[in-house]
Amino acid sequence: MSETALEVQDLTRTYGAGDNAVTALAGVDLAFRRGSFTAVMGPSGSGKSTFLSCAAGLDRPTGGRVLVGGTDVTDWDEERRTRLRRERIGFVFQGFHLLPYLSAAQNVALPSRLAGKRPDRERVRHLLDRVGLADRAHHLPGSLSGGQQQRVAIARALLSAPDVLLADEPTGALDSTTARQVLGLLRGSVVDLGQTVVMVTHDPVAASYAGEVVFLVDGRVAGRMAHPTADAVAGQMAHLDELVSA
Amino acid sequence: MNAAMNGLALRSLRHRPRAAIATFLAVLLGTLLIGSFATLAESSSGAPAPDDGTLVILGAVVGGWGALIVLFSVASTVGITTTQRAAEIGLLRTIGATPRQARRLIARETGAIALAAAVIGALAASVGGRLLFDLIRSGGLVSDGTRYDAGPASVAGAAVLVLAAAAIAAAVAARRATRGPAGVLVRESGGEQGRMRWWRVAIALLLVGYGIAMAVVTVAVTAHADDPYAAMSTSGSSSILVGLGLAVLAPVLLRWGAGPVRLLAGTSATAHLASYNTVRRAHLLAGVLAPVVVLTSAAVGTLVLVDIDARTLPAGTPDSDTIALLNNVVVGMLSLFAAIMVVNAFVATVAHRREELLRLRLLGATSRQVRGSVVAEAGIVAAIGVVLGTLAAATTVVPFAVARDEGMVPDGGLWLVPAVAAAVVVLTLGSARGAVRSAAPEPV
Repeated sequence: MSETALEVQDLTRTYGAGDNAVTALAGVDLAFRRGSFTAVMGPSGSGKSTFLSCAAGLDRPTGGRVLVGGTDVTDWDEERRTRLRRERIGFVFQGFHLLPYLSAAQNVALPSRLAGKRPDRERVRHLLDRVGLADRAHHLPGSLSGGQQQRVAIARALLSAPDVLLADEPTGALDSTTARQVLGLLRGSVVDLGQTVVMVTHDPVAASYAGEVVFLVDGRVAGRMAHPTADAVAGQMAHLDELVSA
Repeated sequence: MNAAMNGLALRSLRHRPRAAIATFLAVLLGTLLIGSFATLAESSSGAPAPDDGTLVILGAVVGGWGALIVLFSVASTVGITTTQRAAEIGLLRTIGATPRQARRLIARETGAIALAAAVIGALAASVGGRLLFDLIRSGGLVSDGTRYDAGPASVAGAAVLVLAAAAIAAAVAARRATRGPAGVLVRESGGEQGRMRWWRVAIALLLVGYGIAMAVVTVAVTAHADDPYAAMSTSGSSSILVGLGLAVLAPVLLRWGAGPVRLLAGTSATAHLASYNTVRRAHLLAGVLAPVVVLTSAAVGTLVLVDIDARTLPAGTPDSDTIALLNNVVVGMLSLFAAIMVVNAFVATVAHRREELLRLRLLGATSRQVRGSVVAEAGIVAAIGVVLGTLAAATTVVPFAVARDEGMVPDGGLWLVPAVAAAVVVLTLGSARGAVRSAAPEPV
């Protein structure tokens, strides 16, 4: 098993062509160690979302390579990339993305159903218990709060014990108290389960839960910060232009 | 302010051509169908006896059943397209539109489309009515001396009736969409939506009760009448009435019916998704189930009725040929109508679920699985719809078979049931496939 859970090499992504071409990623090199928790930060338009889409196989990079668990998945076709998302990547989205007509337990079990496997009930129960929702297993998303829905989504993302869990602004739609619970769960999955988490966020407080912060500006890596605190991250965010010119 | 709302209404129409076309088609065909039959009733005033009576029966009775289906489908099309816009209406309200203004916007939009469609439909109906009249006269149902004699009154009346149905449906849907606080984030339609409103249950019971009462009257009274068509005139509409009644109850019936079907569906991911969506969001798919039930009940009921009639009357009676022809024309038109409804309803529900289907793709469902789950839902709906529709058709077929001394089960023509059922299933699955193919998103 590779020590690097996710790696991108010289990743570029350009939208459009000719004069209208927009460069979202201009050569990004990043490697995420197994069991690390990394926050990717940057202003709007810095390429954060594009980076996540390319890493997840949702978007095809214009150039460069994407390696998941040491396997080069850049040129995989849609069918294989779908299986990749199902089996080796866990997703947590800002908007939760639960299926409204499936109960909490059924939502958690969904990736395994989609893979054509009989869901492991014991594991589903264990994961719901882990996110503190064992007693809500049979509730539909509509009767859960936003924080509870996001916790269901985290349990779902952990089901397949993926190579990497990608989180896209996971606390963007939550108040600060529930946001802290969700971030605590993400960090817990790293500390207790050895899960690899890559989280895109705007929020310095959220970033402070990570072990390292990577700053993206104009589609390039502009800097890094180990053992971040919310204040240090906020200070750095306010002076990103200096990182670029440096 | 008024001009601003009008401008907004027009601009927003241009953004949703598909919804506008659905409403336009429903109103146009509805006006054409009702208007054509209404001209027969109007022509009766100058006709000699007994032609006047024949024309009234054809126009009012046959047209009447049709009108029920048409009004129902216009109302549900307008309802579906309005409900789809909850997000946009929420946005308008957050930036300062009052609920009244939002409702007026919906009314203007629906009004503009429906008015244009009704005018064209009325013009077409004045031609269609003439063709229908020629068909009846060449069939010998009325004498050659009787002439087509309908002015603009009947087609205009039909247009007004259809417009009124569209307006009421838009008003009800708009009120639902503007109830509650303003907000951009629409709560996704989730699990079980409360119980049905009492008035909906009341309408359903009224329709079913009336249909069954007509069936009872057929067996008890008109079966013994001297006129062989007395039994047809009382039993003929039962299947449509009961079918419409069941269609009104579609959300509840779908939830009940999906349980047993689920046991047969298996445990694959697609069956899993389809069966839970059908049960827990029955209110969405009910929009598809309703026309499937009406289509099946109207087609099976009327076709078997015509078949019994042709078998039990001495062949070659001119009356029987024409009535059979006329019944088939009605079935043809109503089937066309219901078929358009099924396709419409599927396009609307799938378009509504775009975001949710994309979510499945993000979570690792293959596009086959996503399409498969929507087609499987269509399969569940078709199965339940065919069963309910056949039950509703029995309220016409059984009494008429008894009246013509064939007993509870007709002596022949039973192949019509599986034939109609197969056609309905193919139509339902086909429109689901078409809808999901054009609307299901691809992540890349």
